[in-house]
Amino acid sequence: MKEVTIDCLGEACPVPLIKAENALKEIEVGDLLIVQIDHSCAMKNVPEWARKNGHNVEIEEVDDGEWEVVIEKV
Amino acid sequence: MREKKVEQYDVVVIGGGAAGMTAAIYAGRARLSTLIIEQALVGGLATNTNEIENYPGFPEGVTGKGLMELFHQQAKKFDVKFKLTDVRKVELEGEIKKVETFRNIYEAKVVIIASGGRPRVTGADKEEDYLGKGIAFCATCDAAANTGKTVVVIGSGDAAIEEGIFLTKFANKVVVSIIHDEGKMDCNEIAKAAALANSKMEFQWNTVVDHFEGDEELKTVVLKNLKTEALIPIDCHTCFEFIGYIPNTDIFKGLIDITNKGYIVTNENMETNVEGVYAVGDVRDRYLRQVATCVGDGATAGVGAEKYIAESEAFVSHVMKEDKPGVAYVFNAIEADQRELLSEIEKMELDYKDQYYFSKIDVYKSKGLANRLGVKEYPAVAIIKDGKVDCIITENISKESLLKALK
Ligand SMILES: Cc1cc2nc3c(=O)[nH]c(=O)nc-3n(C[C@H](O)[C@H](O)[C@H](O)COP(=O)(O)OP(=O)(O)OC[C@H]3O[C@@H](n4cnc5c(N)ncnc54)[C@H](O)[C@@H]3O)c2cc1C
Repeated sequence: MKEVTIDCLGEACPVPLIKAENALKEIEVGDLLIVQIDHSCAMKNVPEWARKNGHNVEIEEVDDGEWEVVIEKV
Repeated sequence: MREKKVEQYDVVVIGGGAAGMTAAIYAGRARLSTLIIEQALVGGLATNTNEIENYPGFPEGVTGKGLMELFHQQAKKFDVKFKLTDVRKVELEGEIKKVETFRNIYEAKVVIIASGGRPRVTGADKEEDYLGKGIAFCATCDAAANTGKTVVVIGSGDAAIEEGIFLTKFANKVVVSIIHDEGKMDCNEIAKAAALANSKMEFQWNTVVDHFEGDEELKTVVLKNLKTEALIPIDCHTCFEFIGYIPNTDIFKGLIDITNKGYIVTNENMETNVEGVYAVGDVRDRYLRQVATCVGDGATAGVGAEKYIAESEAFVSHVMKEDKPGVAYVFNAIEADQRELLSEIEKMELDYKDQYYFSKIDVYKSKGLANRLGVKEYPAVAIIKDGKVDCIITENISKESLLKALK
């Protein structure tokens, strides 16, 4: 199992979503993609997009207003 | 498949919006161990709006996000735990309910459903391709990115028009697509007048979205005039859709009572048709969906959860004893004849308290314990043997009949 982290801190929508989409294409089923975000807009569309495509999603609140969206590719 | 980790809570709240957080504040303050499971941003739908002017306590208005952050802090203060993931499956029957996420199973005595709604989409061609990439549902989130740009707003209800007006503070032009004839909007009159007077707003009457165009991101919304069939392409940076909301109740279908529109049915105490399961906020079948109404629902359910759990504990420790057979007298204290029978039972208790235990349940205060015993009419006596209801006597309640049943 591989783990890939992408830094989207300071990036507004739709940048985190586009970066996450591209990064997810590169990893294998079972691998984890961790998207670091601090714009709340991305908290709405990144998890939703990932779930819609059938992946498992869990989010960690790293700090006030900063999150890691953990996506397990299915 | 890896094993799911099991954790126990008194109360699990599904959804971390205004309604769920209020329920959790009440439950947490009552010292119940409380978990909120939220799949996205804590705060829910209210974080989508910039200005909340009608929530009491904030005479200067407050941003939705700011208000929800305060709710969040208050919940944390009462030791409410937050887990940020989606609930996939629930088992609601019985005393211990199960709430499943992809890694965990949470067992709870009470489940409070506060899952709100999600934005309705137009269903137009190529919409899927641009969700989050030019098609948005939250003006506050994306307004600044549209500074100096053209945006399209779909809809004419309060949310569409009020958020459209807000967007004019950033965008150069806000084109509003309205399905109705010229001059007709679904929003309140104040918003309508303000919108019509706003020089940055432009209205496309009798239109719906035909399809979306772009490359990696949205470039053009193509509207269609329903009367003339003409296609009207509008280049824009973002298209905001405000055409209503759909309740998030898919995972509850078939498990609790839901209306044909998908809303959860409750009584005025927020109780669903399943014991120990409550529903609050926008997900509930109700007249008004606002932060203020969500807060009222949450308070009611939070207190209801506390009572229900206290009753469950009393039920097991006082009514359903296993060491000797029991008599549970269920009565309504405001009925004179039922009070008379109570003194009969109390006399009997004096004579027989070594052989049997006696509990007296007044339904005037709460019907919870009676429901648990399966008693629907009063007065009644439930005979308990080995920690289970053996039989229920509703006619000819007397010392003789009870002694016979206890044998
Ligand atoms: C543009 C706009 C403007 C508004 N303006 C006002 C206003 O000025 N004043 C006012 O009082 N109200 C306003 N409202 C209404 C108000 O925002 C809502 O009534 C309120 O926020 C609803 O709260 P809720 O807790 O019931 O649901 P939500 O806030 O919708 O919360 C439900 C939460 O549950 C989560 N969830 C759903 N399913 C699951 C699952 N399976 N697992 C885990 N989590 C799940 C969702 O992610 C969501 O966060 C406005 C709404 C909008 C859209």
